[in-house]
Amino acid sequence: MEMMTVKIKRFDGRNSYYQKYEVPYEKGKTILWLLTTIREEQDPTLNFTSACRHAICGSCAVQINGNAFLACNTPLDDVLETYKTMNLTFEPLKNFEVIKDLVIVWEPKMEKMTKVKPWIIPGEEGSKEIGFLQSEEDFQQIAAPTDCILCGVCASECNQLAVNQDGYLEPFILNKAYRYIVDTRDGAPEQHLKPVLENDLWKCLHCMQCVSQCPKTIPLTDQIAFLRSATMAMGELDNQGAKHAYAFHDDVKNKGRLNETMLPIKTDGLVQTALTKIPFALRMVKKGKINPLHMPKQISGIQEVRKLYEYAEEVKS
Amino acid sequence: MLKFDVVVVGAGGAGMMAALSASEKNNLKVAVLSKIFPTRSHTGAAQGGINAAMGYRDSTDSPEKHFRDTVKGSDFLADQDAVEFFTSGMPDMISELDYYGVPFSRDEKGQVAQRPFGGASSPRTCYSADKTGHVILHALYEQCLKNHVQFLNEWFLLSLVVEDGKFEGLVAMDIRDGKIHPIQAKSVVIASGGFGRIYWSRTTNAINMTGDGTAACFEAGIPLKDPEFIQFHPTGLAQTGVLLSEACRGEGGYLINKDGERFMARYAPEKMELGPRDLVSRSIETEIKEGRGFGEGMTSYVLMDLRHLGEKKIMERLPQVRELALEFEGVDLIKEPVPIRPSCHYTMGGIHVSDYKTCSTPIEGIHAAGECCSVSIHGANRLGGNSVADVVFFGKYAGLGAKESAMRRSFGRTEKLEQEANAWKTKFKTIREKTTGVSMFSIRNRLAETMWNYVGIFRTESEMAQALATVDELIEEYKDAYAGDASVKYNMAFINYVEIGNILKLARAVAMGALNRRESRGSHSRGDYPTRNDEQFLKHTLIYKDGENYRLEYAPVTITNYQPEERKY
Repeated sequence: MEMMTVKIKRFDGRNSYYQKYEVPYEKGKTILWLLTTIREEQDPTLNFTSACRHAICGSCAVQINGNAFLACNTPLDDVLETYKTMNLTFEPLKNFEVIKDLVIVWEPKMEKMTKVKPWIIPGEEGSKEIGFLQSEEDFQQIAAPTDCILCGVCASECNQLAVNQDGYLEPFILNKAYRYIVDTRDGAPEQHLKPVLENDLWKCLHCMQCVSQCPKTIPLTDQIAFLRSATMAMGELDNQGAKHAYAFHDDVKNKGRLNETMLPIKTDGLVQTALTKIPFALRMVKKGKINPLHMPKQISGIQEVRKLYEYAEEVKS
Repeated sequence: MLKFDVVVVGAGGAGMMAALSASEKNNLKVAVLSKIFPTRSHTGAAQGGINAAMGYRDSTDSPEKHFRDTVKGSDFLADQDAVEFFTSGMPDMISELDYYGVPFSRDEKGQVAQRPFGGASSPRTCYSADKTGHVILHALYEQCLKNHVQFLNEWFLLSLVVEDGKFEGLVAMDIRDGKIHPIQAKSVVIASGGFGRIYWSRTTNAINMTGDGTAACFEAGIPLKDPEFIQFHPTGLAQTGVLLSEACRGEGGYLINKDGERFMARYAPEKMELGPRDLVSRSIETEIKEGRGFGEGMTSYVLMDLRHLGEKKIMERLPQVRELALEFEGVDLIKEPVPIRPSCHYTMGGIHVSDYKTCSTPIEGIHAAGECCSVSIHGANRLGGNSVADVVFFGKYAGLGAKESAMRRSFGRTEKLEQEANAWKTKFKTIREKTTGVSMFSIRNRLAETMWNYVGIFRTESEMAQALATVDELIEEYKDAYAGDASVKYNMAFINYVEIGNILKLARAVAMGALNRRESRGSHSRGDYPTRNDEQFLKHTLIYKDGENYRLEYAPVTITNYQPEERKY
């Protein structure tokens, strides 16, 4: 009989340690089956959360070999195949407070979520008595974001959150804000949008981990791009993020390439750059990473690049 | 001692609606106690929709037609005054949910979209693709956040304390630190969900649907009404019992036996696959019994074919269903039919609600709403789309009822509460220190097998008598059950131990109610009494628990507009 070695990070409220279990492999099972089998057949003290077992309640997300998965709908065979191993290591989701073994606490996250007013602020055209009218197309705008089951996978995968728990919002919180910003029934989208901007919206690292692991395949990074545009459309241009984006936009439009020397100055201003980036820049010059005297020339196909800009403008309007 | 005006037990659709309405525009101190984080609640699993006669898709629809369909669907066991109250209030409820931000699918006019559902004479099921319960649950949670509703998450109800027929409070465990608390309250709303887990793995229910609130009420002296009526959903996935929405049939799916026949022609020639759930479940099991299914024994199944709907319709209307079939059965239903078999889905019976307008029970101060109780609007068989409707509608009225109770009543005494909490502390200690005994999971699994085989879709006297005897043996064995975790904090083994005790208690009542109902009605189908017997059994079962003994009584059904007639589809 083929055996799997399953290492699980245990935590009793004070101490944490890894515990090893040997489990006979079975074909066609899920990760939740594996955890349940260990608990019911070997160790009733092992704790994890699960409920619906069909990917709608969001209870059972865990880390396996360094990535977050929803246990109930993840085929065991897929994980073994992906990591090419019979050894699995389970840990609780990252970026959450752990209460015991694989069990995490959600209340602080919900407290944080209230920053974006995660509820409808009803528009004037609706009422409790007759509800709202909303077109099919407008409903489609909120169909994907309301798939979110608050499983926490995106937050566990988020690399910005790993270093910026207090400042940055969990992708599922951004999703919740987005969901009401684009909901035509909401009467005050800016009340959801402003707090998003104020909480480091521009610090998303574009690592795409949230969107590639989301069990509901919600287009989280597209939403972040939308939220950024929406803040600029609202006139929020005087911030690092917007200025950084404009630097990219303008450089590429003018020359077809980026002027990296000027980028920090355009983003942070001359004074701020001088104060914070000069020593770093000098080290880079020394190592031959940048040449401050090099001013990029216009590329040869610049007309084609500008056509792309025109096309993008057209599509947008 | 913790003290609240109103405590709501359970944070699904009913519990959160109750909390919202109990705390609206007043200064009452309301808390919601839930053994899981609110958005994990089983309301989220409801897929297909929520019934309300909006008349958008079919202008001839009306609350009266919804009323008549529900009564007929219930096989005339529903209380008609309660059903009328419910169906006439549902259209307003949909508007209220819309106003709370529930993302409903829309029709071409921008109104809430409606689809046909089993047992309904008009297309009146409002929906959000195939995740209706999920979006309602989340919208209600958002409303609770907005209104600063106090949650006690991962708290587990152990028992209700009643003195002289009046509610005084409850005892609950904070799972995270293992502390057992007496909680004083003026009123309580039990909204803890159904108890489909008496069939353990052959159910569409979440792993925690163990009827804790129902069992606590039963223990506190409130009878269980009609516990024998268990709905088996026709389209559970064959291997796991996971639910595929009724919307599959609503959208036009075919049920096929191994001869390639659409066999529903034999059982419901007019409605075909859109017959009500009990009828379709029995039809599938009959096909299997008579050798026209696929596979053998516990692994038998028939097929559901959606291919003719086409990829576009499947992706638009049934995206979650397609994912479920892919993940749990390995079948892409755009390309192949999917193996299905009935799976325990819903418990029509439960805590005896004696006044539908306030959802109060015979014990002053205790209210109940949703699947944990029986109002009864579902009678012997619930119609699809009526459960989410039930939880939000009666959740609201239970909240209002509990608010009135709390304003009328004062806090009771604390002696019995303290005693009860101490008794649980002792029990917790005993179970933690126990090092040997019968495996609690083995008790649970044997209970499920017994219930599925002998108190399942088809029932007979001798088999049920056998089941009752087995359940009694298991209750004996449970006294020596071993949980296996000595820790104080987050001891889920102890929680499971109490849950298994609860399903044992409830399963015994299911078997007893079923054994004594010598007729076939709705979901209760007896081989030895194949027809409905209105003369003797047009009445509600009420089972009381007096210590270890169960006592059975019957109560009349309220009939207003619709006299019982043969139920044909």
